[in-house]
Order: sequence, then C-alpha cells, then structure tokens
Amino acid sequence: MFDRDIWQEIFHTLKNNKLRTFLTGFSVGWAIFILVMLLASVNGMQNGFTNQFNDDATNTIFVRPGTTSKAYAGFEKDRRIQFENDDYQYIKQSFPKEIEQISARYFANTNARYKSETGSYPFQGVHADFQVIEKTIITKGRYFNNIDVLNKAKVAIIGRKVKEDLFNKEDAVGKFVEFNGLPFRIIGIFTDEGDDNAERRIYAPITTLQRNYGNTNNINQIALTYNSSYDLTEALEFSQRLEDIMKRRHKISPEDQAGINVWNYAEAFDNISSFSSVLNAISIGVGFLILIAGIVGIGNIMVFTIKERTKEIGVRKALGAMPKQIINLVLLESTFITALSGFIGLIFAWIILSLIGPTINTPAFSNPSVSLSTVITATIILIVAGVLAGLIPAIKAANVKPIVALSDK
Amino acid sequence: MIEIKDLHKSYKMGSNSLHVLKGINFTAEAGELVAIMGSSGSGKSTLLNILGMLDGADSGEYILDGVPIKDLTETKAAQYRNKFLGFVFQSFNLINYKSALENVALPLYYQKVARKERQEKALNYLDRVGLKEWATHLPSELSGGQKQRVAIARAMAAEPKVLLADEPTGALDSKTSYEVMDLIQKINDDGNTILVVTHEEDIAHMCKRIVHLKDGVIVEDKKIEQVRAEQYV
Repeated sequence: MFDRDIWQEIFHTLKNNKLRTFLTGFSVGWAIFILVMLLASVNGMQNGFTNQFNDDATNTIFVRPGTTSKAYAGFEKDRRIQFENDDYQYIKQSFPKEIEQISARYFANTNARYKSETGSYPFQGVHADFQVIEKTIITKGRYFNNIDVLNKAKVAIIGRKVKEDLFNKEDAVGKFVEFNGLPFRIIGIFTDEGDDNAERRIYAPITTLQRNYGNTNNINQIALTYNSSYDLTEALEFSQRLEDIMKRRHKISPEDQAGINVWNYAEAFDNISSFSSVLNAISIGVGFLILIAGIVGIGNIMVFTIKERTKEIGVRKALGAMPKQIINLVLLESTFITALSGFIGLIFAWIILSLIGPTINTPAFSNPSVSLSTVITATIILIVAGVLAGLIPAIKAANVKPIVALSDK
Repeated sequence: MIEIKDLHKSYKMGSNSLHVLKGINFTAEAGELVAIMGSSGSGKSTLLNILGMLDGADSGEYILDGVPIKDLTETKAAQYRNKFLGFVFQSFNLINYKSALENVALPLYYQKVARKERQEKALNYLDRVGLKEWATHLPSELSGGQKQRVAIARAMAAEPKVLLADEPTGALDSKTSYEVMDLIQKINDDGNTILVVTHEEDIAHMCKRIVHLKDGVIVEDKKIEQVRAEQYV
C-alpha cells in the first residue's frame, strides 16, 4: 500500500486525466459536503430547541392535583384532590436524595396599592427554593429566605412591570405596598427572560399568604427540581415513582390519569430529541443516497479507465503481474480519489460551518456544527465507498487476458 | 529447455471450431536461437502464446526447464512468466508514462526486487542495449529501434530462461531491424535461449535454426548457418 511505484502510477493517471478526475471527485466531495451540511443543520435545530427551553431549569417537575376519573378504594370518581402543606413535607421527606429544590405554590390575586397607584396582579406564595426552580433573576434587593417563610414575614418581591406600574421611577426596595389592604415590605425586584407576563407577578412566602388569605393549609401545586445528573431514563423513572406515591397517598387508582398530574420537562425534551433523531436519520439517508450516486460515478470512471488501460494491464501480466497486484492498483486508485475528494468536501463544509455557524443564533436554529465523531464516521464511509467503487472495475481488470490485450498488432 | 509433445489447440468460432495447432512436437536446447516461420494463420502466434503461458493448450505436454506447465491458475501463470520468460512484442508494448528505466525495472518490481537494486539492474541492462543515456526518457521520446531495445532490455532484466520475441522487427525498417537482430544475436551469444516468430526470411536466417509452420503442423525444422547482423549495421 505504501509502495512508491503504485503511488507514482496513481498520481500519473490522475494527472493525465485532470478533468475526469475532477468531475468524479466533485460528485463525491459534493455528496459529503451535503451530508455534513444536513447533519449540521439538524444539530443547529437541536441547539435552537435547547435554547428555547433554557428559560426554566430543565430538570423540573410540576405536581398538580386534579379530579379523579376512576372510582377507587371506596371513593367515587370525580373526586377533587386537594394538596396541603403535608403533601409538600411528604414529598420532601420521601426523596431526600433525589430532590435538589422543592417549593409549594399557592395561587391568589391581589389588588396592590402604593400611594395613589393601584393595580391587580397574580400573587403567588412559594418557598425560598422557588427562585432556583423558576430561574428568577433578582435585579435589585433579594429573594426571601427560609427564615422569612418560617416567620410568615410580610415581605414580597415584585416583577419589573409591577415595579414600573406602582413606583414608576421611584426606588421600590424597602417600601411598603398594600396587598388587599395588608402592608408588605418590598424586598426585591425580579425579571424573567421567559415572558413579560411573568414580570407582572408578585411573590411572597407561602406561609404568609396561607395565613392572610383564608387561613388555610391548602396548596395548589408543588414544583421541584431533581438531581441534575439524571439522564432521561432516570428522570422519567423518578417522576413515575413520585406519581405512584402521591396516588397511593391520595387513594387514586394507579391507572387514573386525571387524579394527579406530574409534568416532567424531561418528557418534552424526550419528544424533541426523538424528533431531531428522526431528522438526523433522514439527513443521513438523503446524504447516503447522494453519496451512492457519487460512488457509482467513480466506479463508472474506473471501468472506463480499465478499458483504456487494457493493453497496459496485459503487458503487466505478461511481465509477471499477479491478479492480486492489479486489483490492488485499481482499488487503491479509486479509494484515493474517493477519500481525497471526500476530504475536500468535508473540509469545505467544515470551513463554512466554522465561519458562519457561530453567527447564526435564531430561536429555531443556532450554531450549526458537526461533531468529531461525524467527521470520523464520514471518513470511514469514504474509504469503504472508495473500495466498493473500485471493486467491480478491479475484478474486471484482473480478468483481462493478456493474450486478448496484446493481440492488437 | 523447451519440450513440447503432441500439442493441440483449437478455437471456437461460433458453431464450428478452428483447429489451429494439430499436434506439434518440438524441442529446443538451452542456448538455441530458433526462428519460427509461417504465413499468417499457420499457428505460429498461437504456438508462441502457449509457450508464453498467455494461452493454454487443449491437449499435449509442455515442459519448460524441467517444469511441466499445466493446470495454471492466473497467479501461477503470472509467477511462471515472471520467473521463466521474457517477452518482446512487435509493437514494443512499453508503458508510455514510464521512463525507459522504469519500464526495464517493471518485471523486477513484480519479482519483488528492492527499489534500489532494481534501478541498478535496470540501468545495467539499458547500458547493455546501449541506451544508458536515454534512461530517463519516455517511450514517446525514443525512436522505434530504441523502443524495441528498451523492450529487449526489459525482457532480459528478469533474467528469464527463454526469451520469446513475437515479430520483434515487424514494425521497424530494415536498418533498425538489423540493429535489433544484432542485439538478439549478442544476447544469444551469452547463452540465452531465444525464440523469434517472424515471417521475414532475412530475419529468420539470422537465427541458428528455422522451424516452418504450415496449417498447424511443423513442415520443416532445419539448422542453418547463421547470418550475423553485425555486417549490415
């Protein structure tokens, strides 16, 4: 393979047939170029999706009570399930290792008043952990902490829009705002990358809200994040366990889909990744079909080359060339053209991707690129393709009868 | 050196077959210079092809330097050709993109001789045919006679037992023909066995023995007084 004479011959053939070599090489290079670009595009879409979901922590689970749809354990169906503080404690204590952050949520509405400015806003009671779960960004002041929750402190953090409504340009942190007539001290202001509506919210310790709005232990939802090192299977398995214990606790049939809703972000991700793997498969398929056209082109040219060189092959055989050596020569030549032109296509695609890839950053499409493993796979495919392209011509060449080849006098 | 017994060969031409060689018996000792003559269709080229293992016989025996040649696979035939035989063709059959030196070195390459040794040997043989200065030239830069001398050097480079020349002067004018024959005679003087297929009387008379073929049988086999080509050069 590393014989100087063989390479000399290959280079000679290629040099003497520049146009032919270029045209065949082009088809393979083009095929690899398209294949890489397709894969990079799918990668770009995948990146775009991932970015869109980055707003909330991706290892989040929301647990919501619902209304049963099946009779179970002596209860009729259509029973409304209500979560209470105990449920929060129960989950927290049941999965001490699995859960990273956990917060209950209590939903209310409030009429807020500061001096002469008033407005109506959603008012949520949460635990201090909720800041991480929701990825709330405090621009000024602080989030409330566990002590605030424990003391049922009348403190609140308000969204950027709320601050603009009530305070205009005035500094809000430290001021008192009346929510339904009760004064709360504003300790922080937050923004949310997700949407403007989220910035119209007001958060306060859940204990404070439960005490002052109906003196209740009820909660509307439990939000939590689990161990971020879990892969998809582990994440789904965890949410299943969570659902099971909550159904058992509230005596809901295990088959009942409506009694409790456990919503895991990972499932949404699962859907996206299966979607993009289908796209991936399609682009590999299309790329391969184009590549096959290129391979056939090279095979075609090799057959032609053999035809042209029949006499030379005959002479070689007369001088003692073994069929094996002739096959070697032809295979090496086709593999060389395939691999070389494929590499050129690969490098072109790579250059284009590294030049324009990082500049593309739209919601649905971001930083298209290919991984090293794709490049290595493509290389292996190219070499195999080259051998395949040369195989039939090589066998044809090996079967050249010297007597026939030399007979034209 | 060469021993042939009752050699038959026929070709299928559509529905009927053409009996080309009809029982050839022939022996050649080492160091002989034999001209095989005959008109076209006499079977002389077929005989040479069989001797050259480029074609197989239908029946009969062929023993080359004590080795029975039969049931050849492609690979085996290639090995035997490389080891036993050197070919000189009418149309030279040099590889046009290789220099004279590379052409001469080619059979050595198939003998797996190391590159350096190959080059030295090839240059040595080019020197013997008087073309040392032309070593780096391509065949297209050589005259017909020079090409044939390169081809002879190539055939000799593998140090074959027998040199088979198929109309070696067929494409040359008479002056260069004699130059080539002079070279062949000198190689023969060194003790090499050479078979020359020709239909030219004067070329045949520069050999030591003439075998006449007609319609697939040997009609005449006689030793002759060799005419030296040197005097015409």
